[in-house]
Amino acid sequence: MSNEDSMDPVRLWREWFVKSEKSWSDSLTEMMGDERFSHGMGRYMHEALHTHRMFSEAMAQYLANLNIPSRADILDMSDRLAHIEDTLNQIQVELRGQRAQLTKLAASSGITPDTGERKRPARTRKPAAKAD
Amino acid sequence: MPPFKDEATLKDPEVIDQQVERMIERAIARNIPGLSLPLTESELDVGPTPKELVFSNETARLFHYEPLQDEIYRVPVLIVMSPVAKGYILDLARGQSLIEYLLMQGHDVYMLDWSAPRREQSVLGLEEYVIDLVGGCIEAVLSDSGESDVTLIGYCMGGMLSAMYTALNPRGPVKNLTCFTTPVNGDGMALYKKWMTSPSFDIDRLVEHLGNIPGDFINSSIQALRPLQRSANQMRLLNNVEDDAFVKAHLRFDRWAVDQLPVPGNLARALVKDFIVGNKMISGELELRGARVDFAKIDVPFLHVAALYDHIVPAAASRDFIGMVGSSDKQEIVMKGGHVSLVAGGNAIFRLWPQLDAWLAERGV
Repeated sequence: MSNEDSMDPVRLWREWFVKSEKSWSDSLTEMMGDERFSHGMGRYMHEALHTHRMFSEAMAQYLANLNIPSRADILDMSDRLAHIEDTLNQIQVELRGQRAQLTKLAASSGITPDTGERKRPARTRKPAAKAD
Repeated sequence: MPPFKDEATLKDPEVIDQQVERMIERAIARNIPGLSLPLTESELDVGPTPKELVFSNETARLFHYEPLQDEIYRVPVLIVMSPVAKGYILDLARGQSLIEYLLMQGHDVYMLDWSAPRREQSVLGLEEYVIDLVGGCIEAVLSDSGESDVTLIGYCMGGMLSAMYTALNPRGPVKNLTCFTTPVNGDGMALYKKWMTSPSFDIDRLVEHLGNIPGDFINSSIQALRPLQRSANQMRLLNNVEDDAFVKAHLRFDRWAVDQLPVPGNLARALVKDFIVGNKMISGELELRGARVDFAKIDVPFLHVAALYDHIVPAAASRDFIGMVGSSDKQEIVMKGGHVSLVAGGNAIFRLWPQLDAWLAERGV
């Protein structure tokens, strides 16, 4: 750190924050572990879920009237894309398996086809002997 | 010399564009700190080690990494990630990758990485994750490698899943088991225990409403364990903004830290009811499809690595693990570091990775 940096009050404040963060965090975590906080958080979560449901239902109707997709529509689309991705994954896995089969078959009949399958390394490695 | 010489130049937008472009290029060429930093997520380029998808079922994705040596150890290594975390933390960048390190040492590495569950996958629970998905991936590794046994390495909750599978299948095919920062004692997760045993907390209602528990929710719960850590990290970033390597590493870590996966509703239910509230791994009451999960039945070589400054899985949540496992060849290492820096931090290459390699090498033939 240059001399100029060491005199920078903002930098000094940041360094103090980094150094004292752990004890501040511990105090906050302890506070959050309090019975009343836990109870309040549970209640807040239920209220938030209830508000979310009411708001989502009202908003979905409003968006439908405006002919704009809602979050549920976007999630539907995301699920459909994920299905397509899954199918592509299955095809990729299947192709990999077929390629390996083909390489094995060809090897057993003495042919070396170009299937794109890389030569597998030998599984004969041993750990290096320990130095005395 | 000023970049814009005359008034005519100032009026021509194309000339201005060219001048500005040249100035920026020159600034980058002079290596002015900060200008060569990645500006978008894709520029961060995480997970650079070449891999191929081997198996895919529900939320499980099994990848095989391209070996980097001509001769490898006989027993393949399967890394099981935590269902809430993305696997690229173990392959952040070249030179900062556990995967790359293991490949360089001659291990054959597979990874079970999880994808975000779709809404209909909220029915997936602990039984499906352990028996069908981890089990399915192990079978796929055996079939792909042509071997009859496998070494499991579980990270965090991935360690829980791996240990449960091994306990349910003591006759194989797991040959060795390694778990990093794995919680087994729900009472040790003090803050979560307080929240989840509060009468106003209702996991069933939460799952019924949300289906899957969103990644943001998981992220907030993790951040609550050390609420100001992220702000402190931002301060650290500002203090080191002229160090490009520091900034890049920070951005990669930060991206991962907020990139949590949603959890299927039923799995979340099991984690809350069976692990945190019921503490069934400690009481020995946990059952999956009618079979009791008893860690004493694990008799393969076992290594547990814990982090000294882990605030996510504190010692109170993981220290019982080693005593519960029945293996005669078992070892626990507690190392300096936090939950993530233990496996992926800058010092992991000197601390954890060489010890892990030595342990695996001896048992991987």
